[in-house]
Amino acid sequence: MATGSEVYVLGGYQTDFGRNWTKENKHFSALMRESVLGALERTEIAPEEIESAHVGNFAAGLYCMQGHLGAFFTEAHPAFSGLPTGRHEAACASGSIAILAAAAEIEAGRYDLQAVVGIEQMKTVSAAEGGAFLGTAAWYEDEAKGIEFPFPKLFGRLGDEYDKRYGLKDEYLAEISRLNYDNAKLNPNAQTRTWYMNKEHALCRTDDNASVGGRIRIADCSQVTDGAVCVFLASREYAEKYAKGMGKKLEDIPRIKGWGHNTARLRFDDKVAESAGDRYVLPHVRSTITSAMERAGVPDVSGIDAIETHDCFTTSEYMAIDHFGITEPGESWKAVEAGWLEIDGKIPINPSGGLIGAGHPVGATGVRQLLDATLQVTEEAGDYQVEGAKNIQTLNIGGSGTTSVSFIVGV
Amino acid sequence: MSASQQLTPAEVRKLVGSRKIEHVVVLGANGTMGYGSGALFTTVVPKVTFLARTKAKAEEGLGAAVKQVRSPTVASRVEVGDYDHEFDAAVADADLIFEALTEDFDVKKAIFDKVEKVRRDDSIVATVTSGLSINALCEGRGDSFRKNFLGLHFFNPPNVIVGTELIPGDDTDPELVDFIEAYSRARLGREIIRTADTPAFAGNRVGFKVLNEAAQLAEEHGPVLIDRLIGPYTGRAMTPLATIDLVGWDIHRAIVDNVYEKTQDEAHETNKLPAYMDKLMERGVLGNKTGRGFFWKEDKVRHVLDPVSGDYKPEAEVNLPDLSYIDDVSALYSQGRYAEGIQIFLGADGEYAALARKVIAGYISYAFHRVGEVTETISGVDRIMGMGFNWAPPSVLVDTMGKQAAVDMIAKAGLPVPSILEEAARSGSPKRFFQHPHINPGRFFVAS
Repeated sequence: MATGSEVYVLGGYQTDFGRNWTKENKHFSALMRESVLGALERTEIAPEEIESAHVGNFAAGLYCMQGHLGAFFTEAHPAFSGLPTGRHEAACASGSIAILAAAAEIEAGRYDLQAVVGIEQMKTVSAAEGGAFLGTAAWYEDEAKGIEFPFPKLFGRLGDEYDKRYGLKDEYLAEISRLNYDNAKLNPNAQTRTWYMNKEHALCRTDDNASVGGRIRIADCSQVTDGAVCVFLASREYAEKYAKGMGKKLEDIPRIKGWGHNTARLRFDDKVAESAGDRYVLPHVRSTITSAMERAGVPDVSGIDAIETHDCFTTSEYMAIDHFGITEPGESWKAVEAGWLEIDGKIPINPSGGLIGAGHPVGATGVRQLLDATLQVTEEAGDYQVEGAKNIQTLNIGGSGTTSVSFIVGV
Repeated sequence: MSASQQLTPAEVRKLVGSRKIEHVVVLGANGTMGYGSGALFTTVVPKVTFLARTKAKAEEGLGAAVKQVRSPTVASRVEVGDYDHEFDAAVADADLIFEALTEDFDVKKAIFDKVEKVRRDDSIVATVTSGLSINALCEGRGDSFRKNFLGLHFFNPPNVIVGTELIPGDDTDPELVDFIEAYSRARLGREIIRTADTPAFAGNRVGFKVLNEAAQLAEEHGPVLIDRLIGPYTGRAMTPLATIDLVGWDIHRAIVDNVYEKTQDEAHETNKLPAYMDKLMERGVLGNKTGRGFFWKEDKVRHVLDPVSGDYKPEAEVNLPDLSYIDDVSALYSQGRYAEGIQIFLGADGEYAALARKVIAGYISYAFHRVGEVTETISGVDRIMGMGFNWAPPSVLVDTMGKQAAVDMIAKAGLPVPSILEEAARSGSPKRFFQHPHINPGRFFVAS
């Protein structure tokens, strides 16, 4: 296994995930522009320094009738005209795939400073239409065609699989929802910062918390979100120069210490069939997490100070808890019950609010996780800061546990 | 720390658990601010008692709270009661007593008399007043009351608007003020702005000055033109006269009359309620609540008030001058080109663009002149305008147009240039006034 990584994260910028860009009468290009110019200003990097850009996006062709997104990067600033750019897609993991590609180019010595933008504008269509678009992250013909809101149903079945193998009580899923909403209140860029939630509401079974797919109810879902996030990745050489210019040491600049990346078979049934007899319900996700740890030289989750995970539904966070090794497989409920995941707990999960609380602009999520990890280890996370965080691990998942990517960011 | 500054995130984390709030009593729970605030408390507080003049009124408030936040679970944390039966026991047990009665000094004073008789010495008493003096409201009361009394001004509706003013009185315990900020930020998701105990505090002082000036100008120019001129492209989602209709003309009058009577500042006359509004209010024109304000809708057709005659006509019959510069600004905003858009506004020809610039210059000038009076720094005014009014904070406008351009615009409008701005422009410093890394300035530039 290739180990070590000499890729540094110089910082970045996220748009407020509570914004509705259709209501603001703004074009996709404004979303891109705000994230990129915001990142330049925040990091004090001159636009002329950027050598290449990678854009992560899932479905602008469907939501915005717009392709060729790499080219939109050049619209953000006149200095970008002529830069090499491209777009990456792996459903909800698109942002992380863009990061992997940019990091690989840095490690290959092609470029010293790269921009990565994760972006999705989703509030352009009705919920049902958007739900069908999201269905293209599954095997559409087999798993989504003609089904209203296919993804909640697929992740409802993930919960059912846990129930079958180990038992699963809905009250633990409700606590996961409550915690993500609670953390979102601390994050001014979180979409649900003002939404009503507590455990009773998450457990409530009326129309105010209707079922959207088996055991998945509204409170269990991540959000339909407009958002963009831009981060800058740099080589060691550039990071040294940057640190000096900012009056910092290289050790103060966050580094991608490890990464993991796996792709499982597309259909949920095939994944579950493959994992029959395995301790882990989604073994490829487990492998993504452990290979990032191995590359970072972190023995297990005890070396991680907080996690930003992919809670597209409460069941995916429930799965992540044991897959990270916080508990034995099937015992995620123990971590929920013990309060370990709270922002001041033993291993905080999603201090940002995650996809349920902060929001889930599909192609932007992986980049948002990396930015939040960076803000945590540089103590810039404001009210959602995890005290003393040095190493943060992310987990970004595309499809029904299909493409998974994990990063460990630390100082 | 200084009484009017913000806590650091580390201080918030340290303080938030330093006290327990397990029972909140809401007084005036049938009113908009009462049930809205009550619903907000139920997100984190296990027991909230809704009190009103009658139990039926309190029940109404609970029903409205459930509807507002769309959760039947609100009811599982709420008890209801009235001022004659349940008051004493509830208030005696409460950790926080939250007063949300009508904006009438004597009404509030009377309920505080009752509160003082039965409350525990360590309970917190907060008022949601939008502008009455905190010091005057607790004048003559015992030490423990004055120490534990403060203003906590949520904006309506509290489940949507996070901007919240925190107003200590002269005798409020500074540790309590810190705790309330920490609790409101970390548990209730509030953006807390500490303000001085000055008339209308910070947000309404600055915001209603602009709204009232729009109302004054509507007399000559008509509501449609004014709302277009001071519309979304100037940094707000809702136009000013539509905002007055939403707030209610009577509430608008109460706020500006209070400011006009109790303050003397460089823009005093812009706080004077136009006489036509007084006259029309006698005829029941109170804004959306009576169906008629600057605007009213009949069969989906929007009608517009003629402030002089008091008559309405369909909006389509109103002729507007050439305002194509606004479309040019909006086209740039729609691509996220805010600085370029605002330059079009600054350079636009004609008397109407100049009139719009005068109102925006007045907003910036007035806001910067209030620094030191209503908040300690411009950041306080910025945050309440941004997160309370959803308007572009004055600093965001200055940063986007450029400091010298802002100074020139204010001077050209014949308004006093705030010295902070003048110095910043002279120094040529590239440092932005708006220093809030977690708030997007771009969200305030709405393409109309």
